[in-house]
Amino acid sequence: MNPQSLGLRQTAATGALPPLYSQPSRPRRAGGRGPCCLRLAAGGESGTGQRERGRAEGSGAGRAADGAGPCRSAAALLAALGKGAERRRELEQRAARSWALLRCWSSKEEEQLQPEAGSSNGQENKPSPKELEELELLNRALEKVLKVRKSILKTPLEAQGATGEKSAGEGPAPKNAEKQQVPVPVEDVPMSTKVRAVSKRPASLKKPSPYQLKAPYRTDPEVKKLQRKALSRCVSRGPRTAGKSSSKGVVCKQRRSPTRAVSASDREVCAPAEPQKAPGSSRSALNAQQSFSIEDSVGEKNSVAAGRQLLDAGKKSCGFLGESSKKENPTAEGALGRSTSPRRVTLQEKGCQLKLPLPYRKAYFRNSRAWERCRLCQTSADAAAARNRFIERIQTTFCSPRPAFSPAEVEEELKVLQDVLSLLSQYMEAEFADHPTLQREYESLLTLEGLQTTVSQCLRKLQLLQAGVEAQRRLHPDCAVDGGSCFPACVPSRGQMCDTAGMLAVPLLCYSSFQELRDLFALKLQVSMLHQEIALQKVMMAELLPVLEAWPCPEASAVQLYRAVYTQLCEGGKRFPVLMRDELAD
Amino acid sequence: MLFSIVFFFSDNQIRFVKAALWYYGYDRPELYRLPSDGSAGSRELLLAFSWLLHRISLLEQLLARNRVKTGDETSVCTCEDGLPNSLKGTTEKAPEHGLEGGVDVRYLQWLNGRLRFQWRSLHAQHEEQCKLLHKIHLFTSGSHVDQILGHFSVTETDLVRQPENYKQLLQLLESETMQLEAFLEWKQLEPVYWQWMETVLDNMAEEGNTCESQDARVEGSGLPKVASCCPWADSLTGQIDKLSRDLTTLREQLHKLTTRRKAAWCEKVKTREEELQKEGFSATARKIQESVELKLLDLTYLCAPPQKRMHGSHRLVFRNKHPASKMGFGRSVSKEPVSAVSATEVIRELQMTEASLERELKQLQEECRQRLDEVAEGLDGVICISP
Repeated sequence: MNPQSLGLRQTAATGALPPLYSQPSRPRRAGGRGPCCLRLAAGGESGTGQRERGRAEGSGAGRAADGAGPCRSAAALLAALGKGAERRRELEQRAARSWALLRCWSSKEEEQLQPEAGSSNGQENKPSPKELEELELLNRALEKVLKVRKSILKTPLEAQGATGEKSAGEGPAPKNAEKQQVPVPVEDVPMSTKVRAVSKRPASLKKPSPYQLKAPYRTDPEVKKLQRKALSRCVSRGPRTAGKSSSKGVVCKQRRSPTRAVSASDREVCAPAEPQKAPGSSRSALNAQQSFSIEDSVGEKNSVAAGRQLLDAGKKSCGFLGESSKKENPTAEGALGRSTSPRRVTLQEKGCQLKLPLPYRKAYFRNSRAWERCRLCQTSADAAAARNRFIERIQTTFCSPRPAFSPAEVEEELKVLQDVLSLLSQYMEAEFADHPTLQREYESLLTLEGLQTTVSQCLRKLQLLQAGVEAQRRLHPDCAVDGGSCFPACVPSRGQMCDTAGMLAVPLLCYSSFQELRDLFALKLQVSMLHQEIALQKVMMAELLPVLEAWPCPEASAVQLYRAVYTQLCEGGKRFPVLMRDELAD
Repeated sequence: MLFSIVFFFSDNQIRFVKAALWYYGYDRPELYRLPSDGSAGSRELLLAFSWLLHRISLLEQLLARNRVKTGDETSVCTCEDGLPNSLKGTTEKAPEHGLEGGVDVRYLQWLNGRLRFQWRSLHAQHEEQCKLLHKIHLFTSGSHVDQILGHFSVTETDLVRQPENYKQLLQLLESETMQLEAFLEWKQLEPVYWQWMETVLDNMAEEGNTCESQDARVEGSGLPKVASCCPWADSLTGQIDKLSRDLTTLREQLHKLTTRRKAAWCEKVKTREEELQKEGFSATARKIQESVELKLLDLTYLCAPPQKRMHGSHRLVFRNKHPASKMGFGRSVSKEPVSAVSATEVIRELQMTEASLERELKQLQEECRQRLDEVAEGLDGVICISP
């Protein structure tokens, strides 16, 4: 399909877009060399022109609608980033401790060799000047590419190859090789997705041969071709793992000895934003220390695992480009342990003979015996009787009629119902399949009917709960505390209250394989992330949608804002819609 | 007196206490009438405290939550993640960048990109952490004196290596042991305590009858009839509404599916009725019925609390699939000194949570899509094609 037949046209050349929302007289911010400043819900503008006032009114409407201030999304995102950074720091500390245990059991000096720079300082709140420069490069490169494409599109034969290349080239940026018809004002594209992949563009444009090598997506195991391999890998993975791996979200690993033959599927190094110098520098840095090293990408430092191939990069959702075979690791570990120094003792060898120091052992024994005694200690009959008497009597002084559910109970029941809903959905999905035999069909019928009964029961229960909530609303004491924040999150259910002995038992979480442990942690992280995403989505919806909906007179340049908001809210910031100018209407 | 309680109250604390008591269902009006400066009502507080002691097994919970952690602890629930204020971070102030009047949406995109990158790095770090943990657990198997555990945790391994760093841990352990012994003493004296509480109640009832009864009759329940606002109720109503919508949708889907299936079934059976009777289908049918009931038992069990939910932080322990092999559970495990949760269960629960959260996120995104589609219609001459 020839794009030109649809009357497509780029909406703007560079540098000539009017500002969407801010006053033209305002000095440009560092980030906006292009004039495409998509500002939202500005506050306190002292407009000078009619136009600005008009916009201000529109923004006023938008602001009123969102009601929560224009910076709430940014503040929420920054808060999330801060929390994430904290978690990372914690994890790094813990990892450092474990590394110390595994590596240098007998010697303590080696610990100091751990570079202190393991701490990430990606706390800047705005893109660094370097990144902005890269963005400039990017823009220029994209313009060149567009020119190239224009010229190529003129000849249909070349168009085939060109679009193939083009889609490959743009693959990483919009994850599903969609051509952006409104691409030129690059500033409105998230820098992080662009910087990584596309900043290689200048380099590759200079060297036409590797650029064309991308087509077969050959991977090259040689060290020297790291960059190209990484480039092709990034590109080849882009379309395939759409939405999941972004070329920026790669944690790199490093092989310990470059001479070791490594298959491309095992090890992967992805060149960072600076194509030429980074592989070399990272390699040397890592070789020197065999420990954590830093790679500067997008202005943030992420820690890179050391030469001990103990990292298992098989998790595709992390955007890892490549799998590492776990089997290699134990042998590598053993080999390394042996090769570093024959006299140094590792935990692996001594582990099963270790003994806890005596004072700790004694304290531990006393402690666990005390716990056991407490657990087995029953409430005496007298105590139980006296207690029940007291409770009964005091409950007679409660206001009557007592509501059916206490707030805690309401929440508990609600959680139960939510679980039931999930289970019901699962069961129903299972019954969508076709059933071969008569028996199976009968079974399926009965199951479905059973599910229906349960759903009705749940709905009835919900009505009771709602009544309970209303009853409690009446009784709610006049306390202006933060709704919800004063109530503990992990409230054990009523059933658990009776099982006090269970509360005092040693809480253990038993896992039976490394895979299980990994899945457990991955899932926990995923759930955390989803919670955060949902919360952020709500905040951004409340802030961004009213702005667009209250738009008084949409101009052409509103399109970018629209696309940005669409991407953010509907695709999680991963995919872009295509916006086409409807020229046929003319 | 086992406890010497000193009360220093601030306004907020009093309100917090009232809210917490209300939350657990303490409906004694006298408490809520207490002034907010803490000047009166120590006996009411004592009563409330005693009630709470029983209602939420306060002492046992405190002991369990503050347990000294010597192992590799991880929580088995995700309750903290769902808190609404999880987004209120340390940077409450608006960022300094370019906010004289507005927020650039590209800035938001950039932040979002950074956030996603950060999550990926966290994933990687967690994987690394798992690997390290597992190795340490493997290598130290068989070393722990406590056979139930079987291996050291990272802390304990480090303790072996550098005992001087862990003096505080030892002190914590010992103070916890003292607390536990105090708890045992308390259990012995419990009857006295409750009897005493009853006398307190008696006294207060007597006094109350003389002076407060008039107020009570005037005010009715004593608690404010219409609370100015109840954010908890609002939030819960929202949740209930959402759940009710989801359930209604599910019911409709089920209804459609069932009617379709039933029709098909009737068709099939009509023609083969005699044949089925010969085969003794009714007996088979009964068996199928029983098995379906069993299958759905999960659901009914869930619907009827008490349901044991796992909460809190647990110690990670590596156990091969063949327990009691070389470790030999010498001690009689008559009453299960451990409450061991298996990772499989936790994983299953997490998967359910994950699925429902993803559904929720998709619903939100779908809503945005619809609203933005409407906006798109207003945009002149531009067609939006979603990816």
